[in-house]
Order: sequence, then C-alpha cells, then structure tokens
Amino acid sequence: MAIIQINQLVKEYRTNKRFTGSFGLIKSLFSSEYVYTRAVDGISFSIDAGESVGYLGPNGAGKSTMIKMLTGILVPTSGDIQVDGKVPYRNRKEIARKIGVVFGQRSQLWWDLPVIDSFELHKHIYNISASDYNNRVNQYVELLDMASFVHKPVRQLSLGQRMRAEIALALLHHPEILFLDEPTIGLDVIAKHNIRNFLRQINQETNVAIMLTTHDLKDIEEICDRIIIVNHGQAVFDGDIYHLKKEIGGINKQVTIEFHVDPGEIAFPNALLICDEGVRKKFEFIHHDGEENSLMRSIMSIPNVEQIKDISIEDMSIEEIIHQAFVNLTQNSKIRV
Amino acid sequence: MMMKAYLAYCGKSFSKHISYRSEVWLRIFGNIVIMFIQISIWKSLAANSNDNMINMSEMVTYSIITTSVMNLLMTRVYQTIDSKLQSGDICSDLQKPISYPWYLFFEQLGTVSFQLLFNVVPSILIALLLFGVQLPEASHIFPFLLSLLVAMVISFLIGYLVALIAFWFLTTFALNWTLGALMTIFSGVFVPIWFFNPYWAKLASFLPFQYLGYIPSAIYLGKLEQPYLILIQGCGWIASLLFVVNLLWWKAIKRLIVQGG
Repeated sequence: MAIIQINQLVKEYRTNKRFTGSFGLIKSLFSSEYVYTRAVDGISFSIDAGESVGYLGPNGAGKSTMIKMLTGILVPTSGDIQVDGKVPYRNRKEIARKIGVVFGQRSQLWWDLPVIDSFELHKHIYNISASDYNNRVNQYVELLDMASFVHKPVRQLSLGQRMRAEIALALLHHPEILFLDEPTIGLDVIAKHNIRNFLRQINQETNVAIMLTTHDLKDIEEICDRIIIVNHGQAVFDGDIYHLKKEIGGINKQVTIEFHVDPGEIAFPNALLICDEGVRKKFEFIHHDGEENSLMRSIMSIPNVEQIKDISIEDMSIEEIIHQAFVNLTQNSKIRV
Repeated sequence: MMMKAYLAYCGKSFSKHISYRSEVWLRIFGNIVIMFIQISIWKSLAANSNDNMINMSEMVTYSIITTSVMNLLMTRVYQTIDSKLQSGDICSDLQKPISYPWYLFFEQLGTVSFQLLFNVVPSILIALLLFGVQLPEASHIFPFLLSLLVAMVISFLIGYLVALIAFWFLTTFALNWTLGALMTIFSGVFVPIWFFNPYWAKLASFLPFQYLGYIPSAIYLGKLEQPYLILIQGCGWIASLLFVVNLLWWKAIKRLIVQGG
C-alpha cells in the first residue's frame, strides 16, 4: 500500500532579482523583476508502508524542499502530492500525527530543559497514553543507551547523545513515516553505527516507513532498501543498490592477480586488462547475468595457476557508485527513471 | 482544542526560565532602576512647576504600575517567530499537530507567568519599601485585573501581527523600530496620556497601544470615569486584531518560505 504518492510535483521559488553595481543596489530596492528557480521539477514516485528509501542528490538538488512539501509546510507549485491518502498542506495537523521528522542540523528538543521534559511534552501533543508512553520511553532509552543523560539538560549533551534523543523523540508517537534529514551528520563512527542499527531495527519491527536524505552513503547501505537519486530537481534514478550498480557498471569486479614470476600475457574472454606490471596484473571482469561463477572459472583456467601468489577481488564501493552516478548526472546523461 | 498539550507548553516555557537564575536578579534590578529614573524625573518636574498639576504620590504609583505591566506584555512573541524564521526552526514547530498561534500564546503565557511570579511581584514589593505605592480603592481592583488581561491579549495580537508581516519581509528590524516608537509614546509608559495635549490625547485614544500601560494604571488610580466601557472598547480592539491576524495568517501560510535549507 502506497503511503506516499507523488506525481509530477513541481516547486518553484521566486526571488527578487538583484542588480549589481552601486545603482544596481538602488534598482534592486524598487525592481519588481523576479528570478524563478525550480527546486523540484516534475518528480514522480511512490513509497509503500514499511519501505526504507534513501533520497540522494548533490547539495541544492531539492531534497529538503521535498521533505518540506511532504510534511505540509511548503505548498507545491503544481502536481499531486499525497501522504497517507491526504494532501499534506491542506491537512497539516492530521498529517503531523502520522509522521516523525528529524533534522540533523536542527533540534526539536527544548535546549534548556532535560531530555525527558521534551518527551513529556510530546506525550501531551500527540495524546500518547500513559502506558504506551512509558513502554516506548523505556524501550528507546534502552536501545539507544540514553539512561545516563535522559535527565540532563539538552545543552549539556554531546552531539551524538542529542541525535539519539532527537530520533527517540520523533518516534515517540509511533509515526507511520519517519523523515530523516542527514541524521548522522557530524557524528563519530560509533554513534553513526548505533543510530543506523537502531533505525534498521525500528524499521523492521514497527513497519515505519523511512525516508532518509544523507551524504553519508554508509547510511544508505545499512538502512535503505531503495534509492532515489535526484539532481536539478528531477529524479534520475529509482531502484535498489544492485540495479544502480548495474546501470553504472559498478557490478563489474576488479581482480588483481599477483604471480611469483611473470607469466607473460594472459587474456580472458570476459575481462579487460586494466593494468599490467608483469608479476601484478589487474583485470575488470564484465558482469553478465546468469554467469555469476564465470569469474572463478576464468581464474582457475589460468595455465600456471600454481604460480599465483595472491588474488584480490574488489567490488565497487557504494561511494564510488554514487560518485559515478553524480558524475554521469552532471554530464546530463539520464541513467534511468 | 487539546488544552493539555498547550498547558504543557505553558509549563515547559515556565520552567525553561528557571534555568537562568541570574536573569531573575538582573531583571528585578532593571525594573527598580527604571522606576527610580521615572520617579526622579517626575520629582524634579514637580519641584520646578508652579501649579500643582503633578501629584507626586500618584506619579510614583503610575510609574511602578506601568513598569510592572510592561513586564507582562507579550509583544515579544514576534522575536520568537523572527528568530525561528531566520534559523528555520519554524519547520519543526509547524510539523507538530498543534495550532501555531495557540502554541505561541501559551508559550508566552508561560513566560509571563514566570515574570509575574519571579519578577513583577518582587519588584513591586521592593518598590513598595523604597518609594511607597497608593493602594487602590476596592471598586477599582476588579476592572484593573481585567485590564491586565486585555493588555496581555492585545499585546500578544500586536506582536503576532508584526510577526506575520515579517513573513513578507523576512525580517522584523524596521517593524520592531516602528513598534517600539509607537509603544513608547502611545502606551503612556513614560508620560501619562492625561498630560498629552488634546490633539495627541485624541490620537492616543484611537490606538490600541494605550491598553498596554496607560489604561491599567489609570484604572488602578481611578482616573477613568467608565472603566468598563473602555474595557469593552478594548475587547473591540481584540476582535478586530483577531480578524486581521487570521486573514494574514491564511495568506502567510500560503507563502511560507522557510530559510536555511
């Protein structure tokens, strides 16, 4: 069942045109010329209940604008948008009960008050029953290891502690959708790891749909089953990581073989020689569907196989894949919509 | 209406202020200084004027009450919205299933309750010892309390109106400046409106600002012949401000541009 449905959505911002130069400054004050920028330019997609989607794109690709429209605080210029069957900007308060939002660079906690005070406030705002509230607080405090700081004022917390509290707060009313805008920004490795584990677990246990924007692709790899890549306001890829790899060519494996003595030239029908240093040769094996074990067979078929000293087989990392995807995007070649 | 949620906001806003204890002492000190300056000015004016236009004990009481009332006003609500617009925190507020104006009102109410308890009451007690205050006649107490309520609501609506206008300009600096000037003169904080010349007094009586200082003090001192009539007019101001504010809110929400990403 689709919980988010977006069809040909457009959001255009209008800003006053600025003129340069000393007269330009005065001109800017009186001018009624505007500059229009399309932050979102005809995007369509739908997200099912319980799905976890990574919403990726370079800076300024319109990711935050999309989240603001989905939460009903920004009115789209044109197109259809529905969250749980309702138009968000017309039903802001109703939608608000069904969503949780975490902004990595912003806080929803009360800065001067203990963490637990913000939780209590949400209990009243979202009408959470006392027993539900106690159960959830206990569960989150345990899972996110918050017992040591839940009674401390927020301003005394470390960033990692604060983020854990933010996420718990956003989940307190058991939303159907959780929006996360760069939730791991600025966190250390352990904090990131804990948050990813927690999100994954919550996603699987409570079936909350997750929509995540991030620049840390490990987040995507560990939390999300599906990726939507946007650029210049348009969706340029929508699918899982496997398909993205395939489109980019990232599914090919790079194999480095090191020999004791130089075996001379070696060629494989299903691979390209990238680099030949005599005793060390590097190949790129081209992937073909249905021939998943051809790589191993090829290697085993090398005549002097006993002369092999070491082999390393590398997958393209998700960083490289997304980097490649962004590079392709800037060259304006659409991968797949 | 989800009264519980709003009362919770009010309570949290109240307890937020407790964490800054030094501010309490500084504000009480500030109040006493303002009262002292005003009373000194009136004293020197009274000493230099020939007629008996200035009744000193009345002016002392007037200064103490207007200064105290100023502490209960909610015009500062626009500063809250302004800083939230600048930082983009307004997003988080709008993503809650609450009515935004009511949330702002109750947040301010928490702040004002705190001010009343930890700032106004101590200031008045100290002022009582230092300068002495006229006690009100029994019949003036009830309309006086009502006038405080009217002052709070009108000040909230004016502050909120300024904040809404800020949706168009995305900054409140110029509005802030204008509002400050209008309030200083027409609320009668520094000079009671009964000292204004007829033209300016007439102008002041056509503006809502007089309810933010002059009217409560004048009712307390028994200077108004028909306090209830004036208060009903105050309610008229509340109604018309509410109308304008609601109209602007609907327009503002349509064009909300949240800055900062």
